[in-house]
Amino acid sequence: MEKSIAANAKPTAPHAPKGKFRMESLTQIRRIILTLLMSGFALLMIMPFIWMISTSFKSPADVFTYPIQWIPSSLNWEHHIKVWSGADTFATYYLNSLKISLISTIGAVFLSAFAAYGFARIQFKGRETLFLIYLSMMMVPPQVLFVPKFLMFEWVGIYNTHWALILPGMFTIFGVFMLRQFFLSVPSEISEAAFIDGAGHLRIFFRLILPLAKPALATLAIIDFSWHWNDYENALVFLIDKDLYTVPLGLQNFILENNVDYNGMMAAATAGIIPMIIVFLVGQHYIIQGVAGSAVKG
Amino acid sequence: MHKSWMKRQSRLGYLFIGPNMIGVLLFFIIPAVYSFYLMFTDYKFMSPETHFVGLDNIRRMLNDDLFGVALRNTIVFLLAVPISMGLAFIVAVALNKSVYWQKTLRALYFMPYITSGVAIAFVWMLLFQPTSGPINGFLRGIGITNPPGWLSTTEWSMYAIDIIWIWFMLGYNMIIYLAALQEIPEELVEAAKIDGARPWQTIRQVIWPLVSPTTFLLLITGLIMTIKNFGIIQAITQGGPGNSTTVLSLFIYQNAFRYYEMGYAAAISWALFAIIMVFTVLQWVGQKRWVHY
Repeated sequence: MEKSIAANAKPTAPHAPKGKFRMESLTQIRRIILTLLMSGFALLMIMPFIWMISTSFKSPADVFTYPIQWIPSSLNWEHHIKVWSGADTFATYYLNSLKISLISTIGAVFLSAFAAYGFARIQFKGRETLFLIYLSMMMVPPQVLFVPKFLMFEWVGIYNTHWALILPGMFTIFGVFMLRQFFLSVPSEISEAAFIDGAGHLRIFFRLILPLAKPALATLAIIDFSWHWNDYENALVFLIDKDLYTVPLGLQNFILENNVDYNGMMAAATAGIIPMIIVFLVGQHYIIQGVAGSAVKG
Repeated sequence: MHKSWMKRQSRLGYLFIGPNMIGVLLFFIIPAVYSFYLMFTDYKFMSPETHFVGLDNIRRMLNDDLFGVALRNTIVFLLAVPISMGLAFIVAVALNKSVYWQKTLRALYFMPYITSGVAIAFVWMLLFQPTSGPINGFLRGIGITNPPGWLSTTEWSMYAIDIIWIWFMLGYNMIIYLAALQEIPEELVEAAKIDGARPWQTIRQVIWPLVSPTTFLLLITGLIMTIKNFGIIQAITQGGPGNSTTVLSLFIYQNAFRYYEMGYAAAISWALFAIIMVFTVLQWVGQKRWVHY
């Protein structure tokens, strides 16, 4: 039986390469067309960014010319200078945002890593119950917490200070959940060998698990940083003084005060977005892996 | 010996989790309990007296016309989720195997999701500018003489928000779909091709059913993510014009921090929690039924 198939197949063999070649060039053409189509659509997706940057350099008269002027007829830096100088300068907002985002992120990554190790690698009484409580807190929307946090912060005296953003920002349940998944995936033989050598949990955590978890830590750090940088809601609720404003609040303030200066608005928006574009370009790999991994594993 | 080992383990366990637990207690659990209590009071910020009012806030909510409006707007807002997922699925299938520059294109589609925030909301505000903005400029250019007024009209404002949200979520959905597509065994798709299935048929009858668990997961997580969000809307429209873009989450914020009706706001926020709870239960039930491979 096998032989007869082989025998039957043989006579058609000389034709095969030709047919295959035609098929291949056909799929190649299809591939090029699809690539062009998808590139066109991708360009549409990033059009708001391009329009923003281009508008920030235009002269006021050119903002709404149609057809759209993608490349400004002259480079006008004055809108950017306006955003970065004066009393309400973006330099202040940047420093505030950077301070809040960095401290929160560093704290969040370490505190989550510690807790995640406890949940994933240490057997103790009440662990499952505790983890269930953590998970249930993930369901509580921030709207439930805003009012009580506002009242608590008022009472303690950290309302309208950066602490109102930094302290809660150092705790992320998502981070604990994500790192726990990662620690669970590290084979237990690795730490068992270290146990036999007399190492304790603390040493295993710092010497073995943390170095292994570098990619997961980096992913969490980048995602967490972007949350803090873009966080508008918390800043809106907990900050009043202009000199405490973060970039999103500063942006809102700029737009309220200059609501007809479209070029200035786009220069301000550019200032707000550029750091995220840089973070994205640098950490793209980690971000995409992290986002894809977190959802597929549920 | 064993008992003391267990004790040591417990102590170590709490040593590791402890620092995080303090924060979760202070910034999640205590506020949640506090908010649950506030729901049954007429607490107003700075008012000298607070009374226990039982279910009055919930009764008030159910009779509040604005609550109904907010609920309707929220449903319109949530429509963006399946639409964004549909587009993302098409993009993911196209990018999965059959294009050049796959990685670059993937990054471009994903960019709105990571860089987005209030900043880009303001860009969209200008793009939607009704009299001479680029979007209406384009629409007039292709012959639509009377394009919609978008964010400045009550009829169109919610749809304009939807468009922004579809754009924002597309990249996220695409990344997850791509990850799911990469787990489909090559042989299945090849087998369909050998059986003479056209690409369209392969997508509908082989790929789409196989990613159904992902579709379900994306739908639920997307709905939850969307129903919680109010930043973009607060930044561009503050719920207006009229109340045409006041979604539930924004309605809570306004009651709490514009009118200082904090007891009432707490009650509505627990209604929001109840909706999220329903979605989550659906996810638990669905996960058991839908994950079939």
